[in-house]
Amino acid sequence: MESFFIDSLRDVCISWQTLLERLATPRRYSSLCQSDDAYTIVEHIIVSMLAAEPIVLMDYDMSPEEQRAVLETSGLSIVEKDIQLTRFDSKDNLLAALREASPEWSITLFTSGTTGRPKRVSHSFASITRAVRRGEKHCDDVWGLAYNTTHMAGIQVIMQALVNGNSMVRLFGLSPEQVLSGINRYEVTNLSATPTFYRLLLGQSAVCPTVNRLTSGGEAFDAATLQRLQTIFPNAKITNVYASTEFGALFASEGRDFVVKNGLQHLIRVDDSELLVHKSLLGESMVVDGEWYRTGDVVEVLREEPMTLRFVSRKTDMINVGGYKVNPAEVEDVFRQHDSVRDVRVYAKANSVVGHIVCAEVVRSTHELNESLLRSFLSERLQEFKVPRMIRFVDALSTTRSGKVKRS
Amino acid sequence: MDEKLLEVINTVLQNRGRATVAELNDNHDLRKDLGMDSLDLAELTVRVEAECDVDIFADGLVNTVAEIRAKLS
Repeated sequence: MESFFIDSLRDVCISWQTLLERLATPRRYSSLCQSDDAYTIVEHIIVSMLAAEPIVLMDYDMSPEEQRAVLETSGLSIVEKDIQLTRFDSKDNLLAALREASPEWSITLFTSGTTGRPKRVSHSFASITRAVRRGEKHCDDVWGLAYNTTHMAGIQVIMQALVNGNSMVRLFGLSPEQVLSGINRYEVTNLSATPTFYRLLLGQSAVCPTVNRLTSGGEAFDAATLQRLQTIFPNAKITNVYASTEFGALFASEGRDFVVKNGLQHLIRVDDSELLVHKSLLGESMVVDGEWYRTGDVVEVLREEPMTLRFVSRKTDMINVGGYKVNPAEVEDVFRQHDSVRDVRVYAKANSVVGHIVCAEVVRSTHELNESLLRSFLSERLQEFKVPRMIRFVDALSTTRSGKVKRS
Repeated sequence: MDEKLLEVINTVLQNRGRATVAELNDNHDLRKDLGMDSLDLAELTVRVEAECDVDIFADGLVNTVAEIRAKLS
């Protein structure tokens, strides 16, 4: 029987037939979707689309207090009602209905901002599926769910899979061994995840030949990770996507450089090295001063025609060391060139002498690697003020809720 | 305490490829005698803070070993 959703960790496999039966059952619908079970979330999204009811996705680990505060500040009210959906007699009929989601339907998420409470962003079907590709060549894809399903990147994967009627395999929250064996066991063809997710796989010796498309997004990607990934996924075409909760996926690249497509050219601007996005590309609830939304991403314009960009850093990521600006992503890239560095986080620590100093946590593959060896390696490749003054060795890096590496 | 301070100071000096010292002299000036620059002093602060929980530069710059000792006592 054709699988719709597989959760190898929970030993759950839902077929399309089972999904059709479950959807036909009357239920109590709540617009608040908060669960630690990926399948429950996916089904909740489908029900909301078919019922043309709003859905609000919230992280499961948010405390009731945080949840109350977030709902209050966003002015959202939660709707509850009994519903009975029309019965669909085939997968094709269900897919056709999903592809024609009501213009009334909306999905609300919260950005994992680095300061203050999470911000609300609501999207329509049109804006949440802007980057979705549909067609014959996608109908046999099997998607690995490597992102948190209540966040933008996860929703993009779910939408891509739903619109094309693909199977989904849950891969987040698993150990690296489980991820790779899940990919091989269920013959996953498409993977979209953060560089951090991929880096955790690098220590493994498994090879996953079924993956033909691998997408990365979230943080800046580095060349060393790319190269090592290609060994694990020899048949994968590797793409980097620029996306955010505010506007979804905007453009993709095959290397480090992004070419802005013709249709988007007039909606993208660069001002003082910062990327600006026109408000027409944003989710509907976004409030913008004027016509343009400042992304906070620092880019370098490599060419004007066609417009080609390279992401340099996040504006807020820059560490100010006594007036010198240090880009943590750049320092991390150099760390990763060392064979015994498995993962690294470069961050700022407030300092009474120079304002901030650069610090790093490192996951090493051998205990022979020590601070002074690393330091001399870095000193040969970086300006002195960029070399972290404190290097700590840890078993795992601290990450934020969405799986991005924390900066401070 | 003195041993720890000596160790921390030598770590900072070593990290920048500077000559280490066998013992601490109260009159040692961190910049002039030991050759530390502001980044070294910043690192020294963080390392001392990690060991002794005191930010030695919190209320202005410290110049000599004796001044550090005073902060830590």
